[in-house]
Amino acid sequence: MMEWEPQIWVRAAAFFGGGLCIGLGAIGAAIGEGYTASVANESMSRNPGLSNVVLKDMLVGQAVAESAAIFALVVAMILLFSSFSNPGWLTAAAIMGAALSMGFGAIGAGIGSGFPAGEACRGAVRQPAVANKLMTNMLIGAAVCQTPSIFALVVSFILLYTDFSSMPVWPAWAALVGAGLATGLAAIGSGLGGGTTAQASVEGIARRPESASSVTIVMLLGQAVVQSPAIFGLLISFILLFGTYQPSSELAPAMALLAAGLCVGFGAIGPAIGGGEVGRNGVRWVARNPGAGQVITRIMLVGMAVSQSTVIYAMVISLVLIYVV
Amino acid sequence: MAIEGADIIKAAAFLGAGISMGLGAIGPGVGEGMVAAKACEAIGKNPKEAGLLTRTMLVGQAVSESTGIYSLVIALLLLFVV
Amino acid sequence: MVFNLDVILMTWIAIVLLILLGIFSVRKRSLVPHSIQVLGELFVRQFASLTEDALDKELGSKYAPMITALFMFLLVSNWLGAIPHMSEPTKDLNTPLSLGLMGFVIAHYAGIKAKGFMGYAREYFQPFPFMMPLNLIGEIAKVISVSFRLFGNIMGGAIIVLVVSHLIFSLILPPFLVAFFSLFIGTIQAFVFTMLTIVYIAVQVK
Repeated sequence: MMEWEPQIWVRAAAFFGGGLCIGLGAIGAAIGEGYTASVANESMSRNPGLSNVVLKDMLVGQAVAESAAIFALVVAMILLFSSFSNPGWLTAAAIMGAALSMGFGAIGAGIGSGFPAGEACRGAVRQPAVANKLMTNMLIGAAVCQTPSIFALVVSFILLYTDFSSMPVWPAWAALVGAGLATGLAAIGSGLGGGTTAQASVEGIARRPESASSVTIVMLLGQAVVQSPAIFGLLISFILLFGTYQPSSELAPAMALLAAGLCVGFGAIGPAIGGGEVGRNGVRWVARNPGAGQVITRIMLVGMAVSQSTVIYAMVISLVLIYVV
Repeated sequence: MAIEGADIIKAAAFLGAGISMGLGAIGPGVGEGMVAAKACEAIGKNPKEAGLLTRTMLVGQAVSESTGIYSLVIALLLLFVV
Repeated sequence: MVFNLDVILMTWIAIVLLILLGIFSVRKRSLVPHSIQVLGELFVRQFASLTEDALDKELGSKYAPMITALFMFLLVSNWLGAIPHMSEPTKDLNTPLSLGLMGFVIAHYAGIKAKGFMGYAREYFQPFPFMMPLNLIGEIAKVISVSFRLFGNIMGGAIIVLVVSHLIFSLILPPFLVAFFSLFIGTIQAFVFTMLTIVYIAVQVK
């Protein structure tokens, strides 16, 4: 078995990875678009006369939510059809890392951007006069919520198009897989959290259109802080990708690198979802009570920052796993 | 490649440390987020009590963070002591 | 011992910029303020009221200058990366960590002063005496979380700008990336760091 040539393993990893990538990547967009469509149906039944506006909102929103899955499709296509020149054992590891990164990374953004799109359909029926404003805000919110999946795409491309052949196969393979896992898993929470924040801002503008500009600003502040966990995941990925490793035949160093990726990846999911909840309520109440906007924004930022402490502990453990042990 | 017992134990400790901190961070993160979300709502309803609500929020978050700190302690123990 | 001369240089550039701002904003003061004076007053008034909201009037006026200076230093530091050939001093872990330690020492000093040493020490044995080690770790973890949050965001942003600019051959996108990561995220993180420092002092005092 082990006498197979590396290129056979690379082909196998590419086919397996391609399937994994689009399989995982399709989860999020499907849920997000389904949510959008369900809310669109509900809204149309309330006021069938506005079905044109709702349909337009639904299709535009679904198109944005689809983009994360399209990134995953692109990576899967590259994996299926490119001929990897100079294949080595590390190429197979890099392919698996790229597939995991993009596959997991598309889940959160796909689900998340369905929320503002659905809320825009609901708002278009509630306040037809501001349908355009809602659409603009929905597009901004959903686009920012795609950022974590773009991080995952960047890491996938780096894994696919960088020449790692100068690294020692053992333990560098674990670093490459770990780098993919770190960004991919970390993107799940931030995509979801950014979506819930954007949803509240669309809802808020539908309730009180005159507060649109301040609500959009608070939404962007909230989404930026919600993305910190994804940035931490990306940071660990880059450290893993561009580190220098001592060749060794032991299991422990490789497992430490893999665990570093898993640690920050898993650790980023919860704080980002929690941050999204904070963002949802913060933005909602800024829209309902603009007089207290400053105080609420401040509490929202502090609350998000404090709830991120656990992902920071995870990042510290990852750094310890990479540099110290 | 010869893998020795001590090596496997060390590798398992590293993996365990990473997974313990990673999974342990999920719960407190969501929980603290819910605390802060409700604090935002409460301040939106009653902005005059902002100082009291902020302090209560921080205390609540500190308590719900304790399980995250347990994970951190276990991870550090796995890395450096065991 | 290793001196990271680049970081020291960038820190000094940030300090010099702030001193210049200070000098220009108090020079030729008038009741109708000139533009730089407006800027200085804006920072001072905003952060004085923020500090007084979180602490009380007396303590607030005592800590407000430190808080204002902290925010302005972090803001200028985080924005330095937007200028070509410069880098953010906060990108090096030592800067945020020392600022975090400074906040830690100040918060605990304020706590001891407000409650007396016994009252302060008793806090660690709440709610049960055997929780003492965990409370201690919790306090130290605050320093770690506040400083690594700043470090991770600034370092992550800088790496993203570098790598993405390289991937797209520096076409079109880099200015927007710098605007987002350096200016926008940098401002938010400077504010978050400052707010957390105030909040940690408030928790110790109350």
